[in-house]
Amino acid sequence: MSSFPPTSPSNRVRIVVATSVMLTFISYWRAAAIVLNDLGSSAFYACGIAEQAVGKSAPWFIVAVMLFSFAVRAVYVESCSMFVRGGVYKVVKEALGGTLAKLSVSALMFDYILTGPISGVSAGQYFVGLINETFITADVHGWIPRAVHNIFHGTPHFNVNLTSVVFALAVTIYFWWENIKGIQESSEKALRVMQITTVMVVILLAWSALTLFKSGYQPVPLPTPQNLHFSKESLGFLRHSFPEQSLAKMFGLLGILIAFGHSVLAMSGEESLAQVNRELAHPKLKNLKRAAIVIAIYSFVFTGLTALLFIMLIPDPVRVSVYKDNLISGLAMYLWGPLLLRLIFRAFVVVVGFLILSGAVNTAIIGSNGVLNRVSEDGVLADWFRFPHRKYGTSSRIINMVVLLQILTILASRGDVYVLGEAYAFGVIWSFTFNSLSMLVLRFKYKGVRGWKVPPNVTIAGTEIPIGLLSVFLVLLSTALVNLATKSVATVAGVSFSAVFFVIFTVSEHANRKKHALAKEHVKDHFQLLQSDTVDRGSLGIRPGNVLVPVRDYNTLNHLRWVLEHTDTSEQDVVVMTARVSQFGTAAYGLSSEQVFSDYEQTLFTRAVSVAESVGKKVSLLVVPARDPWSAIAQTAHNLESSTVAAGLSSKMTSAEQAFALGSAWEAIPEPKKQFVLQIVQPEGIVDTFRIGPHTPTMKNEDVALLHRLWLNVTREPGLENVHHHDILTEALTRFARDYGAHDHADIVKELRRHGTESGPLPVRRIADQIHTVQPEPTRTDRDDGPHSPKE
Amino acid sequence: MGLLIITVLVRILEGMFVVGAIGSVVVIVLTGIEDLKMLLGWEEENHS
Repeated sequence: MSSFPPTSPSNRVRIVVATSVMLTFISYWRAAAIVLNDLGSSAFYACGIAEQAVGKSAPWFIVAVMLFSFAVRAVYVESCSMFVRGGVYKVVKEALGGTLAKLSVSALMFDYILTGPISGVSAGQYFVGLINETFITADVHGWIPRAVHNIFHGTPHFNVNLTSVVFALAVTIYFWWENIKGIQESSEKALRVMQITTVMVVILLAWSALTLFKSGYQPVPLPTPQNLHFSKESLGFLRHSFPEQSLAKMFGLLGILIAFGHSVLAMSGEESLAQVNRELAHPKLKNLKRAAIVIAIYSFVFTGLTALLFIMLIPDPVRVSVYKDNLISGLAMYLWGPLLLRLIFRAFVVVVGFLILSGAVNTAIIGSNGVLNRVSEDGVLADWFRFPHRKYGTSSRIINMVVLLQILTILASRGDVYVLGEAYAFGVIWSFTFNSLSMLVLRFKYKGVRGWKVPPNVTIAGTEIPIGLLSVFLVLLSTALVNLATKSVATVAGVSFSAVFFVIFTVSEHANRKKHALAKEHVKDHFQLLQSDTVDRGSLGIRPGNVLVPVRDYNTLNHLRWVLEHTDTSEQDVVVMTARVSQFGTAAYGLSSEQVFSDYEQTLFTRAVSVAESVGKKVSLLVVPARDPWSAIAQTAHNLESSTVAAGLSSKMTSAEQAFALGSAWEAIPEPKKQFVLQIVQPEGIVDTFRIGPHTPTMKNEDVALLHRLWLNVTREPGLENVHHHDILTEALTRFARDYGAHDHADIVKELRRHGTESGPLPVRRIADQIHTVQPEPTRTDRDDGPHSPKE
Repeated sequence: MGLLIITVLVRILEGMFVVGAIGSVVVIVLTGIEDLKMLLGWEEENHS
């Protein structure tokens, strides 16, 4: 940056800053799957926590919470349909101001950070529960060797909480590393996990119905004040003020409210709906509503109905004492049928639990990273946190901080799911409350057009009263306030955590304000930031057939130098582009220049301009916010009608893998689209070239020889003298397509796999050897002279 | 006096909860009808 001399306004370097994230869109089924990976995971622990707090009538409260989640989702649909820029943080900031926005984002962070530990520890509880139960069964049958018996002084077993802690730490550290490397959030994986989960849910419900019919059930006590049995812990601060157990009788309805508050974590994950909204395909609102319906019904059936089944089918003596932290496993063990079958199903439950709960650990890291990136973009967190990882380009400092907090939480919990659940509810309820309050305020503050509104709304004297929104807010606020008094662990931990984050945000914001003012001045001096909602040639003032050069690390710009040295910029424009990767949970539209063009981009472009100046050529500069850099590159090349994309060699991928990633992103672009060439410039100057999109493949000599021999033979057939080489290929490909789509599919796939791994002589060579020319060659014409690659 | 204040506060909370719960049931019913219409293809968008 210091290399720039003071510049007059007319000489400033123009940078086009795209202000909309380049997204790849997903169907509502995939969106629902992503949300359910988070929301559905609570079915594995929510009822156990609620029963420990309020007694056997807990399932009714879980059912009530799941029904109420239908109303909460309506608030989120309205929030998403408003399209307020910047996600939850921005919504609260617009409605309630910066201080409450920082408080709400602190509560949201508490929610996200706690999601990891509670999911990891819960997965550990299911896993260890299965191992210990298997040991017991094996011991009963005398399958445990005496030596093993002696080591454990009896039936082998693992300490459940301790092993769960180790398990949770292992899963968290695994996903920490994956996130440092920059794994992509995959809707495909989420969909697969939900498909497997659905199989488990269907078997569970059907088998439970059979068990109810065969073995009967015990009733679930109705949710009346008389049936509420609060534990000492579940009264929180109130246990010192009132004689234990009499509270519910003193204030009948308050008891219901307290029990509802202890069950509210069953709908944790609902906020993910807002996060996936921006990725939804057109028609957005309709798909959002469809996804919301799928989510609400699925979670009601899974979390709500299984909660009732736990009480109906698992006997009282073992339900809390043995299965409180792995109730679905407990339910599997008390289904009607042979023990071996139940054990197998339990193992399946553990596998599903592992998949969905581990997924939630990952979602927690991605979500926290996204939220902190978002506030960092707004100057509320020091830029230091956003500095990209040297090798992988991820915001590793934020990921490290989040995972460190999660590890500390896991260790502090000592594997106790109840403690984690109590604390977790704080973040869940307060982030919902802030969001609904903001939406309520925005109804009066912004009277403009909305895609959808929570019904009912009544207009009195020209003023619209949002009755529905107000009702949802009242339930959330009353629950949040009661939880403050009754969840002492959550209140102390949540308030302390939120206070620490609030102080960090406030101090960072103060420090950043001065720094950003200076930086803004510097940017103003040297760069002219031109905002553009979309990327097109017009905004950059370039011609079609240009070269697009993606850059990321300012220390590795060799490929840019190579491109400039090999391009006549008077004939072909060069566009230097960087994709500003926005994490899951960050804003998607209407971003400001400062959000997209940070200190890092400033340094990166300063270096890029230095390279261009040293070669003496002109470049155009472009910053594009994106979820996935490959999609951003493919989409930008498409929009700019680039003929070539010239990238540097990645530190974590081979050039072929880079080409595959870009090719996959290109495939996702809707038609019509043009092909382009990808050049991967290696540090030593070697260039690998790939064609992106359909193109004539490079043919091996053996393939060309085989084609030629076939052509020779075919043209000797009567009436086929005028056949061309490409006619042979057309026929061969048509036959291949037919066979591939029919009975020979498996054989073809098997053969192709073998080719991919086989290092010996290619089968095509062996086939070629078997095809002989049966007659002397006919007189050659100039239409087809000797073996050659067919024309396109 | 202390118990009276607590009682009043608790009653306010209970009132908020009951009013909110009744209103939420209306929200669930109305959005449920809207969802059903959408699923059956009779939808009228609730634009404003």
